[in-house]
Amino acid sequence: MIRAFLATLAGVLVLLAVYPTFGTGYGVRATQQVFMWIVLAGSWNLISGLTGYVSFGHVAFYGIGAYAGAILVTRAGWAWEPAALAGGLAACLLAVLIGYPCLRLKGPYFAIAMLGLNEVLRALVSYFEGLTGGGSGLSLPTLDASVPIYYAMGLTAMLVTLLTYRIVTSRFGLRLMTIREDEVAAEAMGIDTARHKLGAFILSAAGPGIAGALTARDQGYIEPVSVFPLAMTITMIVMALFGGKGTVWGPVLGAAVLFVAQEMLWARFPYLHQLLFGTIIVAVVLLMPRGVLGILQMKYRLPRTI
Amino acid sequence: MAAVLEVDGLRKRFGGVTAVNGVSLALEARRIYGLIGPNGSGKTTFFNCITGLERRDAGRVIFKGERIDQLKPYQIALRGIGRTFQVIRVFPELTALENLIVVTRGDAGAAGRRARELLGLVRLDGLRNEYAGNLSYGQQKLVEFARVLMRDPALILLDEPAAGVNRTLLNDLLEAVRRLRDQGATVLLVEHDMKVVMGLCETVFVLDHGDKIAEGPPGAIQADERVIEAYFGR
Repeated sequence: MIRAFLATLAGVLVLLAVYPTFGTGYGVRATQQVFMWIVLAGSWNLISGLTGYVSFGHVAFYGIGAYAGAILVTRAGWAWEPAALAGGLAACLLAVLIGYPCLRLKGPYFAIAMLGLNEVLRALVSYFEGLTGGGSGLSLPTLDASVPIYYAMGLTAMLVTLLTYRIVTSRFGLRLMTIREDEVAAEAMGIDTARHKLGAFILSAAGPGIAGALTARDQGYIEPVSVFPLAMTITMIVMALFGGKGTVWGPVLGAAVLFVAQEMLWARFPYLHQLLFGTIIVAVVLLMPRGVLGILQMKYRLPRTI
Repeated sequence: MAAVLEVDGLRKRFGGVTAVNGVSLALEARRIYGLIGPNGSGKTTFFNCITGLERRDAGRVIFKGERIDQLKPYQIALRGIGRTFQVIRVFPELTALENLIVVTRGDAGAAGRRARELLGLVRLDGLRNEYAGNLSYGQQKLVEFARVLMRDPALILLDEPAAGVNRTLLNDLLEAVRRLRDQGATVLLVEHDMKVVMGLCETVFVLDHGDKIAEGPPGAIQADERVIEAYFGR
């Protein structure tokens, strides 16, 4: 069983690695998008799926990464690879800064604070025109790096998933889950919940920051509304919920299935696709709040490593 | 002998209600104490103030010679105070075994062995891989009890350990408490089951409306007029 799984996984990875050599332009782009959604949904899962602190503004890390990367490329002439890492670092720094005050808030208050953070950041980047280009956006010098960026995004998705695996199978991961299960009891049992929440929060910011910087480089143009959209937060949440929050492979499954579903709906029902996607969201939340893997895990007592 | 825990003038108010009104007491090592009183007399609040879950308004709490009343709950727990809750607080989506392992640091193998041993003690080893939320009320209570022991606390606060636990299990549990005492721990328990209190505790404190109204061996407490009055009215 595990062997078959690992063999399949290896096969898929090899296929994805050679895909750009024979895939269509659309296919490669779409796959790269799936990678990006794996990064976003997987990262959201690290803080919200494990600790239960639902972040409704996680796209803020993506946006800050996009701007940090784009500014370094355009104003400081950095290559996109270090700029992408800097985007991840910028997102982590933001997480440290806002994690201290925001992670004291419980339940809906944390969600709202994160939502507010995203709006504030969007307003801020619009305001500081000199650095960010303001509302008219920021254009990056032309560069064709779509294939390397495909690999970079794929690598980031792999790292986020691997990190999730390592965390979920460790006592650190169990401690994060106790925060979700019963934070008061966790404290009373000697778990420093504040530090653990902050740690998970910082880890959950890195991936989106890198993904943002990579996407900015890939698209060659960013503006406040394109990198801080609330809809992106909602999509990553739904993907993680669909696959199974708190699981290793849930966000991967959710990102792949829902992205493909979204593309197909969009192509077939150009006017109704948002309505249909909305219906899927409601159905997921109502009918299977644990997600596909969460249900399987509970029903068949599967290990946490799925 | 020096006290393990010394509480001096502990006071806690919620709005207009004084839940704990300047309570002082001292607990010595290797003894089992009881804390009783009618509903709303401040027993759980007293526990919460000692373990840091509630910020006390006044008074001092000294554990092993150090003040702990300014510390965070997890710091207090790490110093060696463990507790259970009146309303069970296991981690429902962690397995019974994980519920115990999660509170440990360091050697994972040793933690696993110790967890198995403690689950064996409360006769739950066969259910170790079951999600704690799927266990019965009594079993969850035992998981919580075993979880407290994982850290080998010097002081154990038990909030109604007997409620909802059947007789056979209860006897095991009480036996386990006695053994802990013999191994050097101090136990303070809140309990409504007078048989348990009288059979187990060496000294009993009585709270009423936040005041400590009596302290002494169980026999004397049962005969104390103020205690009878607090429970049954004049």
